[in-house]
Amino acid sequence: MKRLEPLKKVVAEALRELDGVLALRAKWGGVAPHLFKGQEELEELAIAPKYPLPQTLRLIQRAHPESRLGLVVRGCEERGLIEMAKRNQIDLERIRVIGLACTAEEAQDCRCARPYPGLLTDIIVGEKTEAVPNELVEEFLSKGREERLEFWKKQFAKCIKCYGCRNACPQCFCPECTLEDEIWVETGRIPPPFPSFHLVRAMHTVGKCVGCRECELSCPANIPLTTLYALIRREVEEMFGYETGGDLEAQPPLVLPMELESGDGI
Amino acid sequence: MYEPKIISYLCTYCSYPGADLAGISRIKYPPHINIIRVLCSGRVSPELILRTFREGADGVLVAGCHFGDCHFINGNHRTAKRIPILRKILEYAGIEPQRLQLEWISASEGERFAEVVREFTETIRGLPPIREVLG
Repeated sequence: MKRLEPLKKVVAEALRELDGVLALRAKWGGVAPHLFKGQEELEELAIAPKYPLPQTLRLIQRAHPESRLGLVVRGCEERGLIEMAKRNQIDLERIRVIGLACTAEEAQDCRCARPYPGLLTDIIVGEKTEAVPNELVEEFLSKGREERLEFWKKQFAKCIKCYGCRNACPQCFCPECTLEDEIWVETGRIPPPFPSFHLVRAMHTVGKCVGCRECELSCPANIPLTTLYALIRREVEEMFGYETGGDLEAQPPLVLPMELESGDGI
Repeated sequence: MYEPKIISYLCTYCSYPGADLAGISRIKYPPHINIIRVLCSGRVSPELILRTFREGADGVLVAGCHFGDCHFINGNHRTAKRIPILRKILEYAGIEPQRLQLEWISASEGERFAEVVREFTETIRGLPPIREVLG
């Protein structure tokens, strides 16, 4: 727990100027998001396991738009913040981002390509670790079409349609969800019919998914969703040159007409 | 040999008149295609395409105006980005991406419409029925 003490210090400092800092708290044998307001609370500050804090931040900002908050983020959460800000879900002006670098083991678990923050903040607690190659993706790409179909059919057959992947996703904030619309996803069936539920969700991650792996962690059926989303993310980068969560300037490809994208008209 | 079922979404300003012209000009094309007219190719959402497959379409053809001709100025730009990425998703999910095709067909291209339908029908005929694939 080498990161915990330095993090406490940074949070304590931030608390002097801000209304509160959103981070994780260990209490009653579990870890949950908590808005730290006073120095005395910091004893309970926790780091792991990771939890989608940007979602919580969004709800707090909705209710208290004037608040000035701090937020402890990992690399993926920071990228998530960027994508959320592009879609007007959070106000970055009113947030101070406190970065937390992941350990090598954590990065390994997530097969993370960028296990450290640094896009929105200079404050980074912990040592930056190396990117981890995603061997699951490589393994998947070596499969032929029929093997891929079999693979996903088997995986998606485990789905109990709990909507956990959607609920945990920092990028899922629509007031009305397509996945709950019986026009697109047949109701009253478990598992949900292939391919509607999962491919609709996959399509909705285009230009949004930053690979935080919250969907996979929350999935009670252990469906390797991030393998599919990582492939899509790679494809978005190749096709549109858009690195999801990479910077604040670039606009998400699917919402932008082409003449604005290339700048010279068609 | 099975007879494939193909659903096509044609935009009402370019591709649908294009198909109409093919008919008026008495150009023959395979009868497997079922045309659904939409207001713009940008209206064809990925959800709609996935449901079309789910309902048993062996192939889906989406056709819209050429760039610059869109009645809604840039509705087809959205289609142009959406369809290639959806094709990739289909490919990763193990469904043949050839089943989904995007074409730009203007109101004066009746012959081209027939040609596209002919080629597309042949492609789909070479693939197994979608019900076997989706199960």
